Amino acid sequence: MRRFFSRFRNLFRSRQAESEMTREIASHLALLAEDFERRGLSPREAALAARRAYGGVEQAKELHREARSFLWIEQFLKDVRYAARNLFRNPGFTLLAALALALGIGANATIFGIYNTVALKQLPVADPARVVRVKRFLRNMNGYRFAYTEYQYLRDRNSVFSDLVAASSEIPVLASIAGAGAPEHLTGYAVSANYFAGLGVNARLGRTFLPDEDRATGANTVVVLGYRFWQRKFYGDPDVIGRTIKLNGMAYTIVGVAPPQFTSTDVLPTESGFWAPLSMIEQLNPAFGAGWRDKWRDAWQNAGFELLARLDPGVSRAKAQAETDLLLRGYLSGLRESLPTTAVTLERTSYLGSTGDVGFQVFAAAVLVTVSLVLLVACANVANMLLARGVSRRRAIGIRMALGATRLRLILQLLTESVLLALLGGAAGILLSAWAGRVLWTALSGIVLAFRGLRIELDLSPDSHVLLYGLALSVLTGIVSGLAPALQSTRLDLGAGPGRSRLRGLLLGAQVTVSVLLLVVSGALMGGVASSFVNSADLGFETHNTYRLRVSTRDAGMLPRLRDRLETLPELSRVSIGGAPLAETIGLAGSAGNWNGQTQTSFASDGYFETLGIPLERGRGFTRPESDRGAPVAVISESTARRLWPGQDPLGQYIHFARTFITATEYEVAGVAKDVRFTNLTEVDPMHVYLPTGAMPRLFGGVVFRIRARREKALAAVTSAVESVDPALLPSLDLVSLEEGPVAVRRSFYRVLGGFAGVLTLLSLTLAAIGVYGVMAFLVSQRTREIGIRMALGATSRAVLMSVVVQGLRPVLAGMLVGMAASAGLLAILAARGVVSSSGPFPATFGAAALYAELALMLATAVLASIVPARRALRVDPVVALRHE
Amino acid sequence: MSSEAGRMPVLQGTLDLIVLRTLESMGPQHAYAIATRLQQVSEDLLRLNQGTLYPALVRLEQQGRIKGTWRKTESNREAKFYAITKAGVKALAEETVRWRRMSGLVEKLLSEGA
Repeated sequence: MRRFFSRFRNLFRSRQAESEMTREIASHLALLAEDFERRGLSPREAALAARRAYGGVEQAKELHREARSFLWIEQFLKDVRYAARNLFRNPGFTLLAALALALGIGANATIFGIYNTVALKQLPVADPARVVRVKRFLRNMNGYRFAYTEYQYLRDRNSVFSDLVAASSEIPVLASIAGAGAPEHLTGYAVSANYFAGLGVNARLGRTFLPDEDRATGANTVVVLGYRFWQRKFYGDPDVIGRTIKLNGMAYTIVGVAPPQFTSTDVLPTESGFWAPLSMIEQLNPAFGAGWRDKWRDAWQNAGFELLARLDPGVSRAKAQAETDLLLRGYLSGLRESLPTTAVTLERTSYLGSTGDVGFQVFAAAVLVTVSLVLLVACANVANMLLARGVSRRRAIGIRMALGATRLRLILQLLTESVLLALLGGAAGILLSAWAGRVLWTALSGIVLAFRGLRIELDLSPDSHVLLYGLALSVLTGIVSGLAPALQSTRLDLGAGPGRSRLRGLLLGAQVTVSVLLLVVSGALMGGVASSFVNSADLGFETHNTYRLRVSTRDAGMLPRLRDRLETLPELSRVSIGGAPLAETIGLAGSAGNWNGQTQTSFASDGYFETLGIPLERGRGFTRPESDRGAPVAVISESTARRLWPGQDPLGQYIHFARTFITATEYEVAGVAKDVRFTNLTEVDPMHVYLPTGAMPRLFGGVVFRIRARREKALAAVTSAVESVDPALLPSLDLVSLEEGPVAVRRSFYRVLGGFAGVLTLLSLTLAAIGVYGVMAFLVSQRTREIGIRMALGATSRAVLMSVVVQGLRPVLAGMLVGMAASAGLLAILAARGVVSSSGPFPATFGAAALYAELALMLATAVLASIVPARRALRVDPVVALRHE
Repeated sequence: MSSEAGRMPVLQGTLDLIVLRTLESMGPQHAYAIATRLQQVSEDLLRLNQGTLYPALVRLEQQGRIKGTWRKTESNREAKFYAITKAGVKALAEETVRWRRMSGLVEKLLSEGA
């Protein structure tokens, strides 16, 4: 141990130790010489004799150094310096290789960064490791919602939690501040009074809720604001405490502002604008049906709250889970009609819920594997370039080995170089990923917002996890890409040409294979994107003046009441009830004649087809009585008619649906509507059945109307009409034209996909180009002499060029073939499982033109990347070439 | 050539022992004196470049078994004198026992095998 420290010290005192050693050796030599002089030699002879007797001074010094310090660290530092010099000397190579690695590592770090944020980071609460989320498993599903009674029961009887807090699901409200303009939509949560205290979250400003502040139903009019809402609406004014804010028309006193990092504890973390006490939930959420409103405190059926708990000190999660499970299941078994809860578990509080699920983990693993393929390509690239360079450095390596360097030493040195290279690439990759992660997340959350209507906020700044991951990945990458070249170039059987080029060809081929796999994926995405470029006019329905109105209500009679009221407005030309195209369709299993399968369905009232401008080709639409009571009649699309009853009259035929939530099972065909792109932007629906709105499940669909007056005037009239029916509907009122709503959402979805596909394409093409170029450049430099001789003997430049390019492209072509075969196999498997199909949004087949275009692009890239260095060979002066070496 | 053939390299691990023993019996010595002494005792049978001594000296000093100080020799030259420490004496005793056991064992095996 003591020796260890003294050696360690010597690392840093190397100069002092060195002079000490020199002094000692000099003294030793002097003493020796003195002795020899005493024996009668002349001083000069004595000095020489002393040298001889002493042995190699330098060797002695080296032994001395080795004994006094950690030689390997000194050597390592030396290697690093040497490697850095080497990399610096070849900036072109270094940049190219580092770029390849930066792309690979960057792609991985991006995905890991997002995974880290949603699944590894914990909620910004005090001591998050002691906080758990309560999760319930039902027979076929699982979830995080519990009834208030369950919360109470658990809170009062458990012996394992120091705190158990409850939060509602997100509540949309209309918020208005005196003197701050029109009311705006805001989302917030109703929470138990111990919510902030139990989670250990302190107010940024003011206070959080007092322990009893959730007891007086409808009377605890206090609110804690979200940090960003406070910044946006009050410009961070510290005097906001004590002011009032109206939520759904009711005045609340602002008592505090939450800290900036605390946005929400929801499983799907919607950014919260405010938190109010649980006792205010009825005032905040008028969407709750009447029965629910009265009984939310006592009814066990209404599972509307997420529960978080802080474990008592000294209680393990397993023990707490066992007790929670027992308590809740005991409570529910006493209720005859309760849903059969099979288990209750406690989860660590990752940012997103359910990240511990097998499904999520598999998904994350699949994505990581895909980006790892990119990294693998980059590794193969760099390995190939290093191999090529290793060959040109053979002479230097040979000399060093002849001078006594061990092979291990040289391998370590070469590995140092490749690891340094990878670290360089890794650093660039991490920077890249910080930016790419944000872009990717913006795109992903845009999709979530569009499809689920949820705004998810995520703090993607890289933390130590991401940096550590990047570092480990870089070192690993450096070793993986550097090992084979290092082994190869330190092997001293100088005649071993074929083996080397086989390895290079293999690496290049493998890399092209993976690139092709990536291209197939991007080609499939591109195919979908390409077919989504469609004019609104070609969708088959009117999108600019047609509006969709949705409200959140549990009252089944609300939509007809709204329709009746809107019909009286002169600003509207048509009003009907039904699902909005590109947003509200359902796939239903059905059968008719000898057809048996699934069809898209949607719901329509009388006047629906006229409102949307979809012509009826045959028969009739629905009448009002039919649509209101959900009569067993249906309108089908032309394609459906052709598919179900080819060559027959579809009118009067019957379609049978399995008994689900719709009201009947046998529907008689009353009309045939023109084919439109109702489900996807990318294609006309292969099958579509319209059912009367009365058959519609609650909370599905809305009012669809066409305006005839000026837009602002018409919408203002609609808003006040809704208010006159029920003011409680206003907070959740969602009013948008088909063009700006569903159509825009779909378009942006495909834009995001297109972006992905573009990046993927660019990535695989760039990597393939770098790889081919690297190998070709090397091949040409190897064959300079041969090319010179050939030219001298009269070969045309064309012939030489061809021979070089063909040699370079052979592994590329082989790789492309293998890649296509592999992806064909993969697609066959996916198609068999119904993941992809030749129709639908992702035409992932070899029929897709986009795919062939990308493969051609790949080949062109490879040819280009090999022609550039090959042309350099042609410029070689035969005389110079013959003198080469 | 013939004299070279009869000389032996120092057996791995024994140099420390020899150095410690020399310092114990002769008192503080500089490296040259130790090397000379070794050659005398071994009657030139040990093939030992004098420079080879240094790693052993460094090692022993780092282990705290010997301690070096710069002093003047009788001929008024500067040299680093090494003295055995208490820990060194103890280590020497232990190593000696071990060595005796080991060489005895080897001896026994060799004679029995014959």
